[in-house]
Amino acid sequence: MDKEQVTLTIDGKTVTVPKGMVAVDAAKTVDIDIPVFCYHEKLGPFGCCRMCLVEVEKMPKLATACTLNVSQDMVIKTDTPKVKKGRNGVLEFTLLNHPLDCPVCDKGGECPLQDNTFEHGPDLTRMEYNRAHHDKATPLSPVITIDRERCIACQRCTRYSDIIEKDTALVMLNRGFHNEVGTFNNEPYDTRFSGNVVDICPVGALTNTQYRFKSRNWDLKNAESLCAHCACNCNIVIGTRQNRFMRVQAKSSENSVSNDFVDDGWICDKGRFGYQFLESKNRILDPRENGIGDSRAGVIETAKKVAASFKKIAEEHGPDSVGFLGSPFGTNEELYLYQKLFRLGLGTNNIDHKLYADSPGLPVDHYDMEDVESADLVLTIASDPTEELPILDLRLKKAVSSLGTKLAVLSDQQTLMDCFACHSLRYNVGSDGTVLQSLTDGLGKKGFKKNKGFETETGIESDAFKELIASLKKSTKVCVIYNPEKLTGDSVHILKSFLTALDKNSEGTCGAIPAAPATNALGAMDMGVLPDYYPGGIPVSNAAKIRELWGDSAPVTEGASASELIQKAESGELKALWIYRCNPLVDFPGGAKLEQALKKLDLLVVHDMLETETTRIAKVVLPSNGPGYDEGTTTNIGGRVQFRKRGIVTQNPADWKILGAMLKELDIESDYRDSFEVTSEIASTVPGYSEVNRKNLRKFGHQREKVSNPKVPESKGSSEKAPDKNALRLRVSNYLFAHDKILDASSSLAHHFQTSSIYIHEDDAKSLGLSSGAEVTIKSDWGEIKAEVQVNNRCNPGGALVPYISDEQGVASLLNPDGGPTWVTFKN
Amino acid sequence: MFTFSESSEKQIEKIMKKYPVKRSAILPLLALAQRQDGYITPEAMVEIGKRIDCSPAYVQSVCSFYTMFYTKPVGKYVIQFCINISCHLLGCDDLLEYTANKLNIKVGETTADNKITLLKEECLAECSAAPVMRLNDTYHTNLTREKIDQILDSLD
Repeated sequence: MDKEQVTLTIDGKTVTVPKGMVAVDAAKTVDIDIPVFCYHEKLGPFGCCRMCLVEVEKMPKLATACTLNVSQDMVIKTDTPKVKKGRNGVLEFTLLNHPLDCPVCDKGGECPLQDNTFEHGPDLTRMEYNRAHHDKATPLSPVITIDRERCIACQRCTRYSDIIEKDTALVMLNRGFHNEVGTFNNEPYDTRFSGNVVDICPVGALTNTQYRFKSRNWDLKNAESLCAHCACNCNIVIGTRQNRFMRVQAKSSENSVSNDFVDDGWICDKGRFGYQFLESKNRILDPRENGIGDSRAGVIETAKKVAASFKKIAEEHGPDSVGFLGSPFGTNEELYLYQKLFRLGLGTNNIDHKLYADSPGLPVDHYDMEDVESADLVLTIASDPTEELPILDLRLKKAVSSLGTKLAVLSDQQTLMDCFACHSLRYNVGSDGTVLQSLTDGLGKKGFKKNKGFETETGIESDAFKELIASLKKSTKVCVIYNPEKLTGDSVHILKSFLTALDKNSEGTCGAIPAAPATNALGAMDMGVLPDYYPGGIPVSNAAKIRELWGDSAPVTEGASASELIQKAESGELKALWIYRCNPLVDFPGGAKLEQALKKLDLLVVHDMLETETTRIAKVVLPSNGPGYDEGTTTNIGGRVQFRKRGIVTQNPADWKILGAMLKELDIESDYRDSFEVTSEIASTVPGYSEVNRKNLRKFGHQREKVSNPKVPESKGSSEKAPDKNALRLRVSNYLFAHDKILDASSSLAHHFQTSSIYIHEDDAKSLGLSSGAEVTIKSDWGEIKAEVQVNNRCNPGGALVPYISDEQGVASLLNPDGGPTWVTFKN
Repeated sequence: MFTFSESSEKQIEKIMKKYPVKRSAILPLLALAQRQDGYITPEAMVEIGKRIDCSPAYVQSVCSFYTMFYTKPVGKYVIQFCINISCHLLGCDDLLEYTANKLNIKVGETTADNKITLLKEECLAECSAAPVMRLNDTYHTNLTREKIDQILDSLD
């Protein structure tokens, strides 16, 4: 629906814009720059700094253009003597107490105050008295430094904290002359999105502590790239100087244009401050064989040698004696080439990248992140956006609080989104299959009937469930966001039939966003790093199609999944395993047994960016450049394919180059000169990616077409009972700032690290005789870890929630290796 | 730990009913907390925040805007001198200094016996009778040194 348009004149130019737009934005459309401090397009009108004064015909006084809604036939003038005098006066006033320490200020060179003063301000001050002084650099948090002397009280940062973050942690304290930006009781301002205030501060008051005095911004080389932490793939600008990392900024209206299809111009603190890994001492720089690194042995030569060894093993023991364990962190190009190498070069489908059940494609539309804002009902299932996909959290908050979207949360744990939801239903850990099946049935003709059995099994009240179904049915646009990783068993297949039912029975349109949190989780599925699907969601059973696209040598039998690969390594069936950017020793269940299984392999190759537990036991280790250094495309949760540009140049060959050489070694034609040539090959062979090309990747990326949805496998269902009455069912949740290989001890986000905790319901605490603060050992059939008990009802009775807070915590060792439920007991 | 007294709780119930939007109750709640403890502690701000669904930072922001809310302990009597334009022109600076010397404290401090606190105040809206000061809930207008002597002597 188009908004009503109005036509007006700004400095003699005729402008037609939607009614209700503010004059500053209207002027921008015809390249007339109205200076501002307090106005920010994402924060809305405020009008406190008075910088944007303009003259409007028939108005007696100058008006602030940032609060002036344009109307039909309005005549605005921005360069009359009256306006000039007004701006000059405002700036003289703004500068009264500003310290003018531009030569040592980090903002110098990209400072709106500096620029506006140069353009519109006075060249002298009439101030006769001493300037007011405040403390200079004071830490506002471990990563942000505040210089209150430079602050011009525009309130952008405090309004950001209120309007965008929605937690009002940063506020204006005191009043008048003593007005200052601060937090409650001088506590650190360390929210998940605090770093954005550095970008929007129009002066040098809020600065990035890591970047302070490191470089002048005109010496920086800026690369418009992508964040590689979560699957939002936010647009960032990496600033480097002499090929050394300096800082990360959000790509926003401050330095370019914000990508509203993805991040709306904001990034989270992990994306901004969590980049120490780029220069970590744990980076793998040289290839290593049998534990001996050799900087003279070329990466490509070593890789070719290993590829030949794989070929030899495959010839000797059959193609299924080799396997590939990929990762959702690689780019599309890398993952595509790897599956090509294993499928065509070695003839096996022993390829996988994940432990949870899922299949590519959706039975309904694949919604982009922007659809969250235009939907009238968003249903999140087993997803915790705040910890998993922070920018999605911001978008949901925006949609709910200012765009009239309703939020329904269906989860087995309490999340920070619950307080924004109109339906907040918490099911018992592990009962998601039943919940989704009832939801599917409830949408059908029979509807949902009040049912005691359902209530006991899922812990959801029938009435609340009925209301949710009613809302789903009558909404005009429903967006379902689900995290396949946190659904148990194969209930993701039930979820897909729920989506089909929703599409059929709801009055409006519907779509879904699969929200697995890893950087390129969707890309890895699309690129066919799966034992049962070729790229683009073509099942191995569709031999005809596969032969047509991939030739006659392409294997068409289903390969081993990730957990089967480990089992086969143990039984000796698997002789050689290639692990790419994945650390099974920490992330996979199995504990010591897993290590033994991997050690049984004749050849274990790890191609990774940082040293991990797994690289330590690998026979051959190859360096992978990783984010910041590599180039390629990734597909975000909304199906948007974007190009990740490199910030830093390295001498090590790019992964696509290594892979190209290996493919050649195995007699497969490959002559890629840059990553884009791989992208073009993807476009020509992978259904859904045909429109992806260099041109439309520029600027905002390109939403790939819906990947075909083969028939969803039937869910086998599951019914598990607790082995003994004191056992609780384990649910591992995500924590944004987990202490892993990426955020290591040297990270500037180390203040966010948590200690190992287990959250249980008060009913269970009572029956087990546990109280908050108790140190316990959690035991499962497969392992044990230490944790502190927290009694706070984050999950229903019968469940036990353990956030993944660090690699050392070892929570994966508790898990059931065959993917079934994990029951835990406690030992004091 | 801060808790509202029983009688405060009863008043809160009444106050909350008055406002359709919870956070409109912030000023009465702050006043209530101040009446209870003499000043507003950070713990009280946290508690008030919980009652009105606001962050403690927001409560502190509002609290610090108003000079009549104290965030530090004050004496039995609080003197607030208006220092705005009318009072300034009629010599409030001199009177303020005179009072401070007489009490042997600096502006913003409390006497050693915790009896009197001396504070500056923005406009008290009594320009027609400047200079003005506020002593707890009473205004004293058209101040002179003699008048101040009298007032201070009359305090027990």
